[in-house]
Amino acid sequence: MLASVASALLCGIDGQLVTVEVHVSGGIPSYTVVGLPDAAVRESRERIRAALLSSQLPWPMKRITVNLAPSGVKKSGAGLDLPTAVGLLLAIDELPAGCLDGVGVVGEVGLDGTIRGVPGVLAIVEALRDAGVGIVVVPLANAIEAELVSGVTVRPARTVGELRGCLKGEDTWPAIPEVVAGTGWSGGVGGVGGVGDLDADGDGADLSDVRGLPMARRALEIAAAGGHHLLMAGPPGIGKTMLARRLHTILPPLEPQEALEVTRIHSAAGRRIGGGLARRRPFEAPHHSATAPALIGGGSGRLRPGAVTLAHRGVLFLDELGEFPPIALEALREPLEQGEVSIFRSAASMVFPAAFTLVACTNPCPCGRGAISCRCSDQARARYARRLSQPLLDRFDLRLALTPPASGDPPGEPSHVVRERVVEAVARQRARYRDRPWQRNAQIPSGIVVRELPVSPEGADALRLIGSQGRVSARGLMAIRRVAQTLADLDGRAALSIDDLLLAAELRVDVI
Amino acid sequence: MSADATTPCLTSTSAATRVTRIVRSDHVAAAALVALRGMGRTQLRAILDQWPSPPEALRAVRRGDAARFLAERSPRPVAHVETWPERLDAHGAARHLAQRDTRVVLRSDPEFPFEPELDECPAVLFAEGVRPDALDRPRVAIVGTRAATPHGLADARDLAFSLAGLGITIVSGLAIGIDAAAHEGALAAPGGTTIGVVATGLDVVYPRRHGPLTEAVRQHGLVMSEHWFGTAPERHRFPVRNRIIAALADVVVVVEATARGGALNTADWAIRYHRDVLVPPGSRRNPAAEGTNRLLRDGATPLLEPGDVLQALSFSSGYSRGGGAPWKGAPSWSTVRAPRPSDLAGEILAAFAGDPATIDQLASRTGRPLAEVTRAAAELEALGHVTRRRGFLWPN
Repeated sequence: MLASVASALLCGIDGQLVTVEVHVSGGIPSYTVVGLPDAAVRESRERIRAALLSSQLPWPMKRITVNLAPSGVKKSGAGLDLPTAVGLLLAIDELPAGCLDGVGVVGEVGLDGTIRGVPGVLAIVEALRDAGVGIVVVPLANAIEAELVSGVTVRPARTVGELRGCLKGEDTWPAIPEVVAGTGWSGGVGGVGGVGDLDADGDGADLSDVRGLPMARRALEIAAAGGHHLLMAGPPGIGKTMLARRLHTILPPLEPQEALEVTRIHSAAGRRIGGGLARRRPFEAPHHSATAPALIGGGSGRLRPGAVTLAHRGVLFLDELGEFPPIALEALREPLEQGEVSIFRSAASMVFPAAFTLVACTNPCPCGRGAISCRCSDQARARYARRLSQPLLDRFDLRLALTPPASGDPPGEPSHVVRERVVEAVARQRARYRDRPWQRNAQIPSGIVVRELPVSPEGADALRLIGSQGRVSARGLMAIRRVAQTLADLDGRAALSIDDLLLAAELRVDVI
Repeated sequence: MSADATTPCLTSTSAATRVTRIVRSDHVAAAALVALRGMGRTQLRAILDQWPSPPEALRAVRRGDAARFLAERSPRPVAHVETWPERLDAHGAARHLAQRDTRVVLRSDPEFPFEPELDECPAVLFAEGVRPDALDRPRVAIVGTRAATPHGLADARDLAFSLAGLGITIVSGLAIGIDAAAHEGALAAPGGTTIGVVATGLDVVYPRRHGPLTEAVRQHGLVMSEHWFGTAPERHRFPVRNRIIAALADVVVVVEATARGGALNTADWAIRYHRDVLVPPGSRRNPAAEGTNRLLRDGATPLLEPGDVLQALSFSSGYSRGGGAPWKGAPSWSTVRAPRPSDLAGEILAAFAGDPATIDQLASRTGRPLAEVTRAAAELEALGHVTRRRGFLWPN
């Protein structure tokens, strides 16, 4: 009369083990869920009852108690439907005793008995595996994703009836589909205009669409290769956004470990359910009405990852930077510095990964014209510039004032040529920083840049000259060295040259 | 209320110099009239014109004659005119003037700094500062927009610097932008003097951030106003103030003006007062040069070098002020000449065509690779040919 099934729930972007205990006894027929269930869990009764009846299975007219252990943790979501349902079947002897020993179960059931995919299966299966579970039963829609976890056998389930047959040994388990792209439960892709699609090979955008602007292209290439944050200022309609969206086409491919991290996050966020390994780096472009919790994560009750975490290992693109709420922008400083973000609430605290490249666009002044055509008064410009704090601006190694290309400018290199250089530059950095806690030039802490990236005596003279003109701070000089190193890496040179330093200095100007 | 205009003269002691200066009774009387609430510049002039001297005008106000006179003169009622007889406080006015060591100049005084017969001529001017001799030199007004470009600011500063160095007083309005640059340029010149004409009381600093600049002008020149202490900055006072700038100047230079800016208003007054208006030409793409270029089309004299101002000045009545032409030789725009750049940098410098540009634009115009352009830009900046501002390189 008692059954217990191992399952797990999503907590942030990690799995949290839950044991579902079902007790069926005589008495007035009832169904009670204990163990801090939320509304979705309490409603599971109706789904499970209909699913069992639709599958020609009995619903016991008895006293049913479901306990979700550990009892002190709040449970939410529909992922516990399936473990509860099979637990119930076990408790009323519809399933052979012991058939669920060492098996983890997760999934949502529909009224007709079908089993639906749930978000965060990668994290959930990992948690089950780490708890010693050898076999996991997951919805068919999640099977490909669950297979990404090594050391565990994945059993896909289509319907409650079929699952019962498989568990009893009467049926064979359905095959895991081969398809990768486009599978899933809710369409499963986020982002804007296909750029954020982690599976697509591209949306046809290419750097060769951009005419002229050699400096701007160079800045994009540096950002892609070294992971440097990039700020572009320019009049409206000049192609800032167009350029930023093409950064995506020259980013290096995801490393296997990175791909797993990205898949895990996007699955947990419900962005992409049931696909295989992410193939492209994420590109998150939140609108400027975003709040601080939307950007860095949070929310009441269950903590959810924000845009910085969704952009982990990819690009966070903030268009109209000055229009974002100042509190949201200042909250970016910690993830920009540390590559992760800690979220504290009275109920819980959580650390989300957030190693992203920030690309931001802004108008140079309220009138947007900039330079000589600007009609703004000094005060108006100063007020506008004050919206972006100096500590935030300091995080941008690359700043660029954009001007429109001239009519005769030739189209530039296509993305695949640039991407080859970027890939090589990334490989060079990876080899150099094997035994360091960072992987890219942009991540070298300011304190040890001087030691890590030595310059020739002539280079030191050039840096002194740049510093003496009074427009670059000490922190700026560090940024110049890091960017210069990326330039050398892109060129395949070991040491950074004076030209690298001068170009890097040119990209460290105040643009607003 | 015992203080009558016939009260013997009051004395003022300047703490800095320990020189005791006499405040004349007619000045005190005029100041007391200016201080009256509701006393506008037209009423003030009418009253002072009607009675033979300020003390008599004061007595007329006290008797109520002045109120009746104003009522007959114009049907429009004068605000607070009924309070004038009891508010009249010559003693208080004298104390204020003495405390701040403020000078008063009446339109009827022989030392009044410009032609008293000008339209809308102020009846009374107040002046503070350590250089009353600033008025005894040829005077050039340099005015312009608050939303100036770096080039406009540099032009105003350079022009003021070279003219002030020749013993010419620079007159401007202590506003943000061109005005401030003109004052700063004059203050930077050895022995340079400058006059700031403000649209507020002399104890009010506007804009607030110009506190230090106003103090510097006081220390090396004069701050002048037609308003009583405590008068707050109000929109309508600025165009009216501009007539004093134009009247004080022998020649008016408008460095940059937007199409509808206050600087054009100063130029209008200058034309009305028969002062020469000089204007440096600007790019048609520069919104801050729209107004000045229109002035040029309408007949203003193009200002290509500081010598043009001297030439205009030599035809003006201010030429002989302070004992004839004090200047020798032709002044130049810039006191420092940047060294000659390398051939490559010279080619890049030519590609600016005088306007600010980005590296992208320079590369596009010259067809040079990025590395060469950045190297040239670094050289040009080091040599002082270009300055960086807001992401652009600006040729100096």
